[in-house]
Amino acid sequence: MRQGLPDWLKTALPQTAAAPATIARTAREQVETLGLPGLRDEEWRWTNIRAIQRGNFSAPAGVGADIEPAIRLPLDNPLRLRFIDGVFQGVPNDAPEGLTLTALADADEATRQAAFSPKPAPSVENPNDALVTLNTAMAREGVVIDVAANATIERPIVIEWLDGATESVMSHPRVLVRLGQSAKATVVEHIETVGDQPAWRNSVIVSTIAANAALTHIALGLDGASRLATERSFASLERDARYHSYNVQLGGQMIRREYDIHVGGSGAHTDLIGLMMPRGKQVLDTHTRITHAAADTTSNEHYRTIADDAGRGIFKGRILIEEDAQRIEAYQSSNNLILSDNAEIDAKPELEIYADDVSCSHGATIGRLDQEALFYLRTRGVPLAEARGLLIAGFAQEVIDEIPLVELRDWLSIRLEERLGEQDLAGHETE
Amino acid sequence: MTETQELEQLVKREYKYGFTTDIEQEIIPPGLDEDVVRMISAKKNEPEFMLEWRLSAFRQWKKMTEPEWAHVHYPKIDYQALSYYAAPKSQEELDAEAPESLDDVDPKLLETYEKLGIPLHERAALAGVKGANVAVDAVFDSVSVTTTFKEKLAEAGVIFCSFSEAVENHPELVKQYLGTVVPQGDNFFAALNSAVFSDGSFVYVPKGVKCPMELSTYFRINAKNTGQFERTLIIAEEGASVSYLEGCTAPQRDENQLHAAVVELVALDDAEIKYSTVQNWYPGDEEGRGGIYNFVTKRGECRGDRSKITWTQVEAGSAITWKYPSCVLKGDDSVGEFYSVAVGNNYQQIDSGTKMIHLGKRTRSTIVSKGISAGRAENAYRGLVHIGKTATDARNFTQCDSLLIGDRCGAHTFPYIEAKNASAQVEHEATTSKVSDDQMFYLRSRGLSEEDAMNMVVSGFCKDVFNELPMEFAVEAQALLAVSLEGSVG
Repeated sequence: MRQGLPDWLKTALPQTAAAPATIARTAREQVETLGLPGLRDEEWRWTNIRAIQRGNFSAPAGVGADIEPAIRLPLDNPLRLRFIDGVFQGVPNDAPEGLTLTALADADEATRQAAFSPKPAPSVENPNDALVTLNTAMAREGVVIDVAANATIERPIVIEWLDGATESVMSHPRVLVRLGQSAKATVVEHIETVGDQPAWRNSVIVSTIAANAALTHIALGLDGASRLATERSFASLERDARYHSYNVQLGGQMIRREYDIHVGGSGAHTDLIGLMMPRGKQVLDTHTRITHAAADTTSNEHYRTIADDAGRGIFKGRILIEEDAQRIEAYQSSNNLILSDNAEIDAKPELEIYADDVSCSHGATIGRLDQEALFYLRTRGVPLAEARGLLIAGFAQEVIDEIPLVELRDWLSIRLEERLGEQDLAGHETE
Repeated sequence: MTETQELEQLVKREYKYGFTTDIEQEIIPPGLDEDVVRMISAKKNEPEFMLEWRLSAFRQWKKMTEPEWAHVHYPKIDYQALSYYAAPKSQEELDAEAPESLDDVDPKLLETYEKLGIPLHERAALAGVKGANVAVDAVFDSVSVTTTFKEKLAEAGVIFCSFSEAVENHPELVKQYLGTVVPQGDNFFAALNSAVFSDGSFVYVPKGVKCPMELSTYFRINAKNTGQFERTLIIAEEGASVSYLEGCTAPQRDENQLHAAVVELVALDDAEIKYSTVQNWYPGDEEGRGGIYNFVTKRGECRGDRSKITWTQVEAGSAITWKYPSCVLKGDDSVGEFYSVAVGNNYQQIDSGTKMIHLGKRTRSTIVSKGISAGRAENAYRGLVHIGKTATDARNFTQCDSLLIGDRCGAHTFPYIEAKNASAQVEHEATTSKVSDDQMFYLRSRGLSEEDAMNMVVSGFCKDVFNELPMEFAVEAQALLAVSLEGSVG
């Protein structure tokens, strides 16, 4: 029995939305019955959404304040697309050739149609898609990133999600990223809580990647204790297209990030790389679904979680291989470290396979640090906490090393070191 | 023979054990309400506590809804159209005690076993020759008809009898343990079983006793439109050990038959229980018509320190299998093991796996699951490894591999891993592949026929699990695999 929408959400449903009229109307009808997902829904059994259900959030009033992010990412001449509490601050006027940036509100009907028709289409039957549907019904803010065929955009396109500037605000922004044939671009999500106000962002990014194009998508969830976020990324790949995703989550009260990757053209490939480091009482959750819908496609997924204090790390990875999608190679691994007895790791690596000529594997491990490695370091005179720190850093570094932007990689390594310095790493091993 | 031909043969394999035996049955009219529950209890002369227990289960069941999360599809079952009790006519005579000699058994029933190739006397003789005695508690539909080797077991102090007998002769044991591992309201099918279970097996191995022989039960489903609700309870006291074998084949039928059994195992300190299953119920025909719905709840509890429970299963039959033999590792240093081969062909659907719940310190578990899909079968592994907060230094190793034969079948893996303790060590790995051309080429180049090569690859794939089967069962398991898959390739 579904709960339906809480009243505060019902009253917030807008009369006009960015989605084309028919799509918006259907979504509005659906959300009324779908409501919000709950622990009874299979996809949410590990993630308590109560903080959102009881949040009593309201849509941001008017334009956001003039706020700068506290954290400066070391990016080379980035193009900034800033959202303050979900309100888009306008397109920069120095977009290079081949790149068109448009506020969602100014986009034409066909573009908005594309922004609200992701692949695979969210299903009404699936309670998990309630949040996407809610976004469709609510979205007014957003941006469209268009990369022309054969264009290579060197400058990183940075979407800045600056949350929590005003009190109890929710936002439902929608972003469309379109890469033309053989185009190349890098999109970085800079996610930061700028105030200490509780805030909930329910954002959706829809990416379409044409033949032979390559999109690099980096998400950096930086510190922020009060942030609640439900984030969904759709990507659909045509022939020989590539989608490289890097997802680093370092903070937030409850972050649920989902990826739906539709590998729909032969020769296409996707990488999903992630690192989550919950501490305190943080809940960091990533769900990924890769659908191999065409033959001769490949995917590679590698997620790591380090849970400390009473933090909770959740990873669910699903690989679906459709009928007749032969000669697939799909590899997935999920490695997890628990540093405290109050921390928790939940993992669910899934394979769903309907073709026979495939080579698929997944591995998942949960454990403590390698005792032999620790012993080795101790025999070299390294103090216990330091030895543990080294091993933990090494564990995380393997993920960070995969990020293609060198400056960002180095910056993250330093940040990781600082972060581990703040944590009590003496742990459970006896002296 | 080419691979295509092999596949065709494989797909066309018919159920070898299809037949029905015409025995007059005493059947309660279809439908389920409190009166039916009372009637079942009355027919079995159960004490008051059993009736109360059943009624409480029934009341819980009424409020429950049928689970839909499994990766299986089937038409809605009308629970009011099923008959909940069927006993062979001779029940009155047999009620108090199962016959001591085979002469007392309905000859038609013996005929059934003859057709299956496992007549009781021959089987006993065969076992005798091998020096390993196998006691057979034969279940024909729902009521135990005969039990052999009772005396020998009694000498050792082991109680091995039908559930009804246990309720009559050892009510204190039944009262103490029934429903303590699988509570009445555990799930929809377990609640249904708790309300209407007809009979089953009961094993009690007292303190320090090693059960002198492997215990075995054969389940048969025979009456049309009759759900079969078996209840098994095995208790191993401190330091006791027992190996229990369960195997089944069923007559070929057009109509779907529901089977919702419950098996409960209790292992106290240093006790060991090994539970092995070979399941070959009617899987439906080539078009996916008919076949048994096998919705089973099996769970063992390692209640004592250093106890051990091992589940081994070879699942080859049934139209739908919904089964997760699990271990609750409560005692410190207790061990849970699960070894499984699940073979699906034609339109069979299998959603099976295990749960390992680690609660005690230094508990260990091993899961080895091999799934083989052919034809249009759907074969899913679903498992849970849970490391509780109290389970310091717990360890789990899981391996689930799937083999695909044909491009219209499905192989799925849905493992849940939860760890709440920093000292937990959990490893899970899963692979899915088909028999590779390289493997085939290598073996063919060594002079093996295509059939032998395929045979060898499949055997090798399942070897880890077959090694775990008790000797007495090995013959049947191998025969079954031969029928299921190897029969078509070699």
